[in-house]
Amino acid sequence: MIILVETPAGFALFKVKDEGKLANIEDLAKEFETPDSARKIVKLKAFDKFDNTSEALEAVVKLHEGTPSKGLRKFLKANCEGETLAVADSKLGNVIKEKLKIDCVHNNAVMELLRGVRSQFTELLSGLGDQDMAPMRLGLSHSLARYKLKFSSDKVDTMIIQAIGLLDDLDKELNTYAMRVREWYGWHFPELAKIISDNILYAKSVKLMGNRINAAKLDFSEILSEEIEADLKEAAVISMGTEVSDLDLLHIRELCDQVLSLSEYRAQLYDYLKSRMNTVAPNLTALVGELVGARLISHGGSLLNLSKQPGSTVQILGAEKALFRALKTKHATPKYGLIYHASVVGQAAPKHKGKISRSLAAKAALAIRFDALGDGQDNTMGLENRAKLEARLRNLEGKDLGRLSGSAKGKPKIEVYDKDKKKGSGGLITPAKTYNAAADSLLGQTPAKSEDGEESSKKKDKKKKKKVEEEEEAEKEEPSKKKKKKKVEEEEEAEKEEPSKKKKKKKAEAETEVVEVAKEEKKNKKKRKHEEEETTETPAKKKDKKEKKKKNKD
Amino acid sequence: MTHPQRRRGGGGRGRGLATGGGGSAVRGRGSESGGGIKGGGKVLVAPHRHAGVFIAKSKGDALVTKNLVPGEIIYDEKRIFVQNEDRSTVEYRVWNPHRSKLAAAINIGVDNIWIKPGLKVLYLGASSGYSVSHVSDIVGHEGCVYAVEHSHICGSDLVNMTEKRTNVIPIIEDARHPAKYRMLVGMVDIILCDINQPDQATIIATNASYFLKPGGHFMITISANSIDSKLSAETVYQKEVEKLQMEELKPTEILPLDNCEGDHACVFGGYRLPRKQNS
Repeated sequence: MIILVETPAGFALFKVKDEGKLANIEDLAKEFETPDSARKIVKLKAFDKFDNTSEALEAVVKLHEGTPSKGLRKFLKANCEGETLAVADSKLGNVIKEKLKIDCVHNNAVMELLRGVRSQFTELLSGLGDQDMAPMRLGLSHSLARYKLKFSSDKVDTMIIQAIGLLDDLDKELNTYAMRVREWYGWHFPELAKIISDNILYAKSVKLMGNRINAAKLDFSEILSEEIEADLKEAAVISMGTEVSDLDLLHIRELCDQVLSLSEYRAQLYDYLKSRMNTVAPNLTALVGELVGARLISHGGSLLNLSKQPGSTVQILGAEKALFRALKTKHATPKYGLIYHASVVGQAAPKHKGKISRSLAAKAALAIRFDALGDGQDNTMGLENRAKLEARLRNLEGKDLGRLSGSAKGKPKIEVYDKDKKKGSGGLITPAKTYNAAADSLLGQTPAKSEDGEESSKKKDKKKKKKVEEEEEAEKEEPSKKKKKKKVEEEEEAEKEEPSKKKKKKKAEAETEVVEVAKEEKKNKKKRKHEEEETTETPAKKKDKKEKKKKNKD
Repeated sequence: MTHPQRRRGGGGRGRGLATGGGGSAVRGRGSESGGGIKGGGKVLVAPHRHAGVFIAKSKGDALVTKNLVPGEIIYDEKRIFVQNEDRSTVEYRVWNPHRSKLAAAINIGVDNIWIKPGLKVLYLGASSGYSVSHVSDIVGHEGCVYAVEHSHICGSDLVNMTEKRTNVIPIIEDARHPAKYRMLVGMVDIILCDINQPDQATIIATNASYFLKPGGHFMITISANSIDSKLSAETVYQKEVEKLQMEELKPTEILPLDNCEGDHACVFGGYRLPRKQNS
């Protein structure tokens, strides 16, 4: 009987010398306790080594599927004629029996035998020590694990991080070299630096002409526009730079070559980065663009790390210094970090940049998670979200326009600004509205409570209206936000509590509010109403109020 | 019972705390104090009763293992640095008993964890590799840890961890079919099982029949709710123990883990322990 043992190094076939011993399974284990006694039971017949890790991986994967690989089949055919083969996997045994016509066996005795062989493996397999086996084992296990996890080398984000780092480095280098060219050549032809502002064009021109004397003869039309060319040729004649030798010019030209080749490489690298970004994180790219996406990934350390961050973090990634400084000194925190350079944020008007940056960060966080942890390879999700964001941007801008053009709902007519107008409130655009007592409704004024009830309900209506309007309006200043919150709270509380308490709160609110002319006409109206009511309040009611106050305090 | 401390000399990895024998907290010998945890408090690192494990004594005691790959941490565990006599620093990683059931068992005071430097360990249910990393610290470079984990998400974390630690072999397979990873694993001395499946007794038994050497040991964590949520915890533990005994896995210690997580227990035991010879 021959036994097949699979190892990370290759396939081994052992011949069982004494088949009688197999009958006694319990004692079999004892036989394998020492290498010598083990050698009495089995002998190495043949060993088929794997050439490299990829061959090993292939063979093992095939075994998982239950079929012998080509190498294994050849090996078995060569060595197993006429013998029964003991295998560890009965399915494999069946397949071998079918395909290779070799009888296979799998039972407890076989398992024990395998245990024994495995325990004395290094001894039985002369020529392959544990040290040799270990790296093969490690290599095979890692390849197998990667294969299982469907590790795709395309989706590695390390490339992105390195590429963007290199891009930044290249830019710096390019700038340094270009400045050096200008300085160096400026010794010979100083005016050129002012004529040509772009670094690459400068280098190209220098490369073309070398000594400025040649400028008049040469044609710069491929590099420069006509006017600049004309300026150049003029300046070349009257230049006050010194002469330089040909050797010097040679070196300057070499430096120009360097600059040009670096800039070419930078363009190539940028293309590479774009293609990689589209493979690794297509949704993020669709949403913020390649460069910003790559910077975000690089800042986060890896795509997976980035996916663990909430949207609020994504919003201010890159502005940590400002963020923590603001947190420490209790100032306003920054509204955007790296995400500021995304095109969607760039398109927004300055006062909407904050909002768009927040919405963009939220969607970007989703896109990052989709790319890092999801299975999809396309960027449909990113494109959809981008469309949503652009719609939101248009909405924001639309609201702005809407407010400027004014709505009919009782808003004041905005008068043309005239700085010399002395009548009214001077420099104010619209005069402060005063309370129009004639517009008061005087229904049911005498019974105190019913007055309360009615006016409180009116107030409720007005409040609701105002709430709705305020929701529509853009929220800029914090004080207004706070007021709104107060009002919301009051709305809720008012539904539970009595009207008098509500009045009290309003009084308090009215006192704390600072008069803001542009928006607060309604509030002013209410204020006046309060004051009016106070004057019309009967002393009896006041007493009631005080009592209720006391009760509420308790 | 053999005293595990006696075997500490093996390996000679310059732990900086090697004492002659029966060592307790090393104070008098050379400069052991080093900064490290939280604001440079003085920390003393002493070897634990179990070989390869250490205790860091400062304001509170912490279980630590010597970092096999200095400078690398798995998630965000704290590290303790101790200065040696020859000015070299030894790095230890803190082992959190809330995250690792093995650490919880050691803290409660199990007699013998059976894991020693230089041994080969099969760890079923390796998850992201947190406990595996500590076991790998204990067994050192001569030993080997085969980490089996079925889930792909944890598996990729595991593979990332093992890229730095060369004594851990990642196996992304279902532990129910040890035949599928038979070509990667040799014979092991210990099986650690932390899989929380209702058929875990069978799983560990199959794996033992493939890979565990006779006279080897095992540790299995039983989560009573994962096996059978209707029965009481003690009943579940008892049933599991019976199942194990039928498969030649003889339990020597049953340790309820009450201070860390609810209704969990650790069972330590031996496999095919040599019967006393009647001569």
